[in-house]
Amino acid sequence: MGKFWSIFFIFWSIVAVVAVAISPAMGWWFPTAAESPLGEQIDDLFFLILYITTITFIGTQVAMGYVLWRGATNTDDRAEFSHGSHSLEVIWTIVPAFILLFIALYQIPVWEQFRIQSHFPQDAVNSPIAEVTARQFEWRIRYPAPGRVFKGKSDIERWLKQPEPGDLYTVNDLHVPSNKPVLIHLRSGDVQHSFFIPDLRVKQDAVPGMVIPVWFEASRSKAYEWVCAELCGWGHYKMKARVVAESDEDFKNYLHELELEQFDDGVPELADSSAAGEEEVSE
Amino acid sequence: MNPRYLSQFLSKSSAGVATHIFSAFGTIVALCGFVGCDSKPIGSKFVLSERTEELISPARKRVQDQLTEDFGTPQDLVAWLRFPVDYGMHKGTIKDVEATDQGSYKFAVDWTDADAESLRIRRGAGLMMTSGDYAGTNVKVNHYAPESGRIHIDAFMNPAPAVGDELTVVGGKLQAGRMLYMEHCVHCHGTSGDGNGPTAKYLNPKPRDYRLGKFKFTTTKPLEKIATSDLKRTVKLGIPGTYMPSFMLLKDDELSAIVEYVRWLAIRGEMEARIVNELHGDYSTADVRERVKGGETNDEIEEELQTLFDEDFSETVDDLASGLAADWLRADEEPSLILPNVPRVPDSLESQERGKKLYLSGDTKCVSCHGPTGRGDGSSTEEFWDIPGSQPIQKYAVRGLHDDWGNPIKPRDLTRGIYRGGRRPIDIFCRIYAGIKGTQMPAFGGKTGPKDLKDEDIWDIVNYVLSIPYETDRAIHEPLSIPPLEQTTAATE
Repeated sequence: MGKFWSIFFIFWSIVAVVAVAISPAMGWWFPTAAESPLGEQIDDLFFLILYITTITFIGTQVAMGYVLWRGATNTDDRAEFSHGSHSLEVIWTIVPAFILLFIALYQIPVWEQFRIQSHFPQDAVNSPIAEVTARQFEWRIRYPAPGRVFKGKSDIERWLKQPEPGDLYTVNDLHVPSNKPVLIHLRSGDVQHSFFIPDLRVKQDAVPGMVIPVWFEASRSKAYEWVCAELCGWGHYKMKARVVAESDEDFKNYLHELELEQFDDGVPELADSSAAGEEEVSE
Repeated sequence: MNPRYLSQFLSKSSAGVATHIFSAFGTIVALCGFVGCDSKPIGSKFVLSERTEELISPARKRVQDQLTEDFGTPQDLVAWLRFPVDYGMHKGTIKDVEATDQGSYKFAVDWTDADAESLRIRRGAGLMMTSGDYAGTNVKVNHYAPESGRIHIDAFMNPAPAVGDELTVVGGKLQAGRMLYMEHCVHCHGTSGDGNGPTAKYLNPKPRDYRLGKFKFTTTKPLEKIATSDLKRTVKLGIPGTYMPSFMLLKDDELSAIVEYVRWLAIRGEMEARIVNELHGDYSTADVRERVKGGETNDEIEEELQTLFDEDFSETVDDLASGLAADWLRADEEPSLILPNVPRVPDSLESQERGKKLYLSGDTKCVSCHGPTGRGDGSSTEEFWDIPGSQPIQKYAVRGLHDDWGNPIKPRDLTRGIYRGGRRPIDIFCRIYAGIKGTQMPAFGGKTGPKDLKDEDIWDIVNYVLSIPYETDRAIHEPLSIPPLEQTTAATE
């Protein structure tokens, strides 16, 4: 009976390792490769940790299997009673401590780029692309007027505090230029939400009362899934939206279309000129 | 086995055991997922309106039967073709007939406007024969197999329909709209579109009750219903400042299916209200009680009602439906849409100032609700208002304005820059031109009196309203010559 149980437990360990090892290739589950430069670095960290934990997992499972099998087959020797081994305790405290310390130090450059504002790409910081306000249950987006140039940090702060007449508004559909870092200012209109674009590996909580800058870069021109990653109420699942990364030109055209739409006065042939008039006033 | 040996083993490998327990638990959960839960159909049904419930039981029953006949149930919709709703239609010709063992038929159909494989027809859709021996016959679709292009119907027809007979399948879009409505809308707007879904009680403002056939944010003229394109815009962009979220990412055909279903629910609700209107003055429980006091007997009244039903009630219902259909049809026609006579007046400070003067003037009375500074704190928000139609006149229990649904509402705070019906100049223009239907926001446009607003004046007000959120900024740089506050309030009194 002992043999059965030792084989049983060893078998499931092997199944677990094999299932995880083949799951990306089988398409069962595994994140697809990140589509942003910082995302690739985050993936590298993820794999590093995955390798360390895999080695540890296999090591402990082999040891456990050995102990089980030995205990089941060797009935002659008597077990030895001990109060524990001081050197063993020291080893399995210090080795994991070093591993954790290594991870903590090794990830600093990535974390710094991702979260420390002084290390953000400065071009993106100086010209934020939009303000995104999460609310139950949608994402409201405000772009600065096309051509609006921010003169320094205080100017950006003023824009965040006080909307301007030329601002463009939309919902659930954030357009950004691809292949360069872009920055949005994230806020919440009600409860806590979380801004999450899985393929770009960017996730940031939206906290009521705070304006949080978030930067990301999409390496490809395509529509990315954008979801809320913080349970925010019964309609949480409705907060699925879209981030469209596109060439600079397409982005410009998009904003132009949005502007025409927003300043539409319902008189078709004259919609263009009235939008132009609006622009002059806003400057 | 030595017990000490065992305890040592357990303590060393307890983490490993826990992992296995978790993975076993995970497997069980996954298995449950595959097997699926008990899938009883949800017992959703269309409920009767409060006014219908006030009728005496034979009248109520007749209304219920009429509605079920003309509109069906949520599970089995009826597409009443008289109404201008896009129910979704597919025409085709029978190319092959196969009788089944149960005495029903399967047709292979050549579709004129779609290919068989991409077509989706749900169980319960209406199938109408349009030529051959059975022209005019309506049956229900049991099943449609896109791979083979075969439609299975339950009805028994003898002799069998012939190859070459033409048919039309009706209602696919309405069914698709129902599915989407049940997924996205029902928890607030309710199965009957009465704005009373399970989450409705947590919301302020309340979700729209479609059954009055009134919608607030339209681009149609004051007395017209909402245009289909307006509803589509609302569903797509949501209503900022309320719980109505944006459904931007739904595909265009999904949006339009939802909108058609909503229009159909609105028509259904309004049809119910109009039928009940015909009966309510004489056959509500209260009316009957009065009449009995006046000397009539219950039997006499019921007999009279029965005669009414037997004689010309169907015609009455028919007339009501024609009128309602015409109303909804007109909303989508060009003359109903608001088209400003002049393009937007350039958004200059002069225009904004003219707008402000109009805003503050006694002719428009904007101030009485929206307040002198646009904060939505006008004097009307402090008063107790009469409940319209109440006999004897009663007052609402809460101060301030109420909409046609009886819910308390607040005049918009114009300083916040949140515009529920959209922020395009044309949106604000339409709000002022046609008012906000179902509320006290009156219609200013399209009138020709000497004191009435012309389109230019409305544009001035639009420019002023759109500038209010930035007023504090502007006041610092370029003060306007604003009349002192005492004068303006005096002007409104």
